[in-house]
Amino acid sequence: MAEYAIQVEDLRKVYGDVIAVDQLDFQVGRGEIFGMLGPNGAGKTTTIRVLMDILKADAGTVRVLGGAPGAARERVGYLPEERGLYRGLRLDETLVYLGRLKGMSVASARKRAAALLEQVGLAEWSRKKAQDLSRGMHQKLQIVASIIHDPALVILDEPFQGLDPVNSEVVKDLIRDLRAHGKTIVLSAHEMSRVEALCERILLIHHGRAVLYGALADIKKQFAPNAIEIAPPLDWQGWAEVARVEARDRKQVVYLQPHIAPRDFLKRILEQGLFVEQFALATMPLEQIFVTVVKGE
Amino acid sequence: MRLDKIATIAWHEYVVNVRRIGFIFVTLLFPALGLLGLIAAGFFSGQMLSLARSQFVPPAKPAGIVDDSRLFTPIASVFAKGFVAFDDEESAKRALLAEKIRAYYVIASDYLATGQVTAYTENIISGSASTESGDLRTFLVNGLLTGKVNDATLTRATNPIKLDLVTLDSKGNRQGGGSFSFIAGFVAPYIFSILLFVSVFAASGYLLRSVSEEKESRVIEIILSSVSPTELLAGKVIGLGALGLTQVIVWLGSGFLLSGGIGALVAGAVVLLNPGSFVVAALYFLLGYLLYGSLMAAAGSLGTSMRESQQIAGLFTFCAVIPWFFYGVLLANPNALLPRVLSFFPLTAPTMMMLRLPMSEVPLIDIIGSLVVLLISIPIALWAGARVFRMGLLMYGKRPAVKEIWRALRNA
Ligand SMILES: Nc1ncnc2c1ncn2[C@@H]1O[C@H](COP(=O)(O)OP(=O)(O)OP(=O)(O)O)[C@@H](O)[C@H]1O
Ligand SMILES: [Mg+2]
Repeated sequence: MAEYAIQVEDLRKVYGDVIAVDQLDFQVGRGEIFGMLGPNGAGKTTTIRVLMDILKADAGTVRVLGGAPGAARERVGYLPEERGLYRGLRLDETLVYLGRLKGMSVASARKRAAALLEQVGLAEWSRKKAQDLSRGMHQKLQIVASIIHDPALVILDEPFQGLDPVNSEVVKDLIRDLRAHGKTIVLSAHEMSRVEALCERILLIHHGRAVLYGALADIKKQFAPNAIEIAPPLDWQGWAEVARVEARDRKQVVYLQPHIAPRDFLKRILEQGLFVEQFALATMPLEQIFVTVVKGE
Repeated sequence: MRLDKIATIAWHEYVVNVRRIGFIFVTLLFPALGLLGLIAAGFFSGQMLSLARSQFVPPAKPAGIVDDSRLFTPIASVFAKGFVAFDDEESAKRALLAEKIRAYYVIASDYLATGQVTAYTENIISGSASTESGDLRTFLVNGLLTGKVNDATLTRATNPIKLDLVTLDSKGNRQGGGSFSFIAGFVAPYIFSILLFVSVFAASGYLLRSVSEEKESRVIEIILSSVSPTELLAGKVIGLGALGLTQVIVWLGSGFLLSGGIGALVAGAVVLLNPGSFVVAALYFLLGYLLYGSLMAAAGSLGTSMRESQQIAGLFTFCAVIPWFFYGVLLANPNALLPRVLSFFPLTAPTMMMLRLPMSEVPLIDIIGSLVVLLISIPIALWAGARVFRMGLLMYGKRPAVKEIWRALRNA
């Protein structure tokens, strides 16, 4: 059994004279939730399509579950970016057909379809046609379709697209549930808060290249400003250590001068006898990291 | 290639499409029209017949006989219903004008030497004299021979021929019987080839629609994450080919039922009398379907909508129809240069050969040549089809330019 669920080395994909992906390297470990981020047109969907053997790579090596792309179709689930289902077919018919294509028996596909529809609250729609569903329901049905065969690896291209907060939560729970059952999940998204809440490791692609890659915690540490979050707010007039101050909710983010260590700053505060309820290292929200990196390129 | 996946796709395509209203409608349309035609024909022919009877052939009325030869009177009792003797023309004429008889025949006194009989009717159109001539003939033969020959000879003399026609081929072997062999050897294969042609295009039409619908509904990428494009193409070609075949079987079956078995008899005769050309026709059918099918599937993947795909596909259909334009040339000489050239061009070969086969002895080289051309071009079409298919399917909202299609074909 290979160590990684996905291994990509030096991947390159061109469309005519558009270089969609270039020199891309990354790995996805087994059992982790991996996020692919990047602005529109960065090359996320292209990369995912290469992983799914829908597009052929122009250069580089790609291994999915230890084999070539397409070799393990039955153990991979996929939610495409461009998606839809047979409008004229009943939900259960569609799910059973897709399950059959993944190598399931009719009986087990039917059983699993019923269980999953129940889980996402579509049980009573099972015998209705897909054309009768709302957009969000459609979206949930698509996600169900992508995991009907209980795959070891699930690749979701923008799973939160078009979902209201309640249904986003349903999908998030579904993803966490998959993770709890030892599945590997790769998802692309634009909603940074969701990625932050879900993903353990991320890859940020820009112009077809990796610009950030690694564990989310490490990246956040790397981008952490020399600042602390403090509550309740205080008056920093006359403090040489403080560069500037920002109010955030009921707290303050205090940016320190480059040579000042937070630990020394805390010491000074305590020496001054000031009342502090909370004192924490400030982090940069992923959203901001994203914008910083993409704009700074 | 996974056969179980291909089978799953084929079955899915078949089941989903066989219950479409459009399919059911078209499939049942022909039998329904046939039935309607039959009912109408029955109704009108019944009416026409009774109309004709009342107009021209009142069956109750006998014909008059003025027998100047004295050979046929008195009239034998078996003919008493149909014929009445008159002593002279005057009384016969009066009876005709009084509409007591439908016509009268004057048999000349030198009948034995000349065979002269004059028929009189009230109006020319009635034509009753000629329509009744069969009866008259029997009457005359009977009158001439009664008492001179035995009954068996008499019966044979009135109905001397029960015709059986045997055609021999160049080696002197029997080829079958008469006009039936003409129908079996020429008309039926011709109808058959049209039928096969129609079903090839019906099936590749379904293929086109199925592909472009899956593209339009965006379901295609999910399918491609489970099967390879080649498996998908193969499954669709098989499933929808079976659908086309179902249609033909329904049409043939209803033809059999409506014609009271004659159609099936003829079709059976085609197979039995000419197994060689049947096998060849079936080959053209299969190869033609594979060729057009893979091209149609590719066309289906290129358009952004069904209508656009149909326009692209129209190009291929046009090629297939070209041989019909030269039907005149074909009738004059099925082995002329032009038909032969078109038989070697893959897009026109299936239609051309299906047309040529029943018409004459097609040179063996043409049959083998066109089959080889098809066998070579089908893998190419499938390969190119799957490639264009893969590219076309992922292009939403815009139709790929010729340049892009070319690139897809060149690149791996
Ligand atoms: N079929 C195609 N033909 C030509 N160019 C394409 C095709 N698909 C994508 N591209 C180009 O490749 C680049 C990468 O596109 P891709 O869809 O991978 O981006 P993405 O990161 O998924 O963007 P988004 O967030 O908008 O979904 C873009 O410049 C796009 O225009
Ligand atoms: Mg995308």
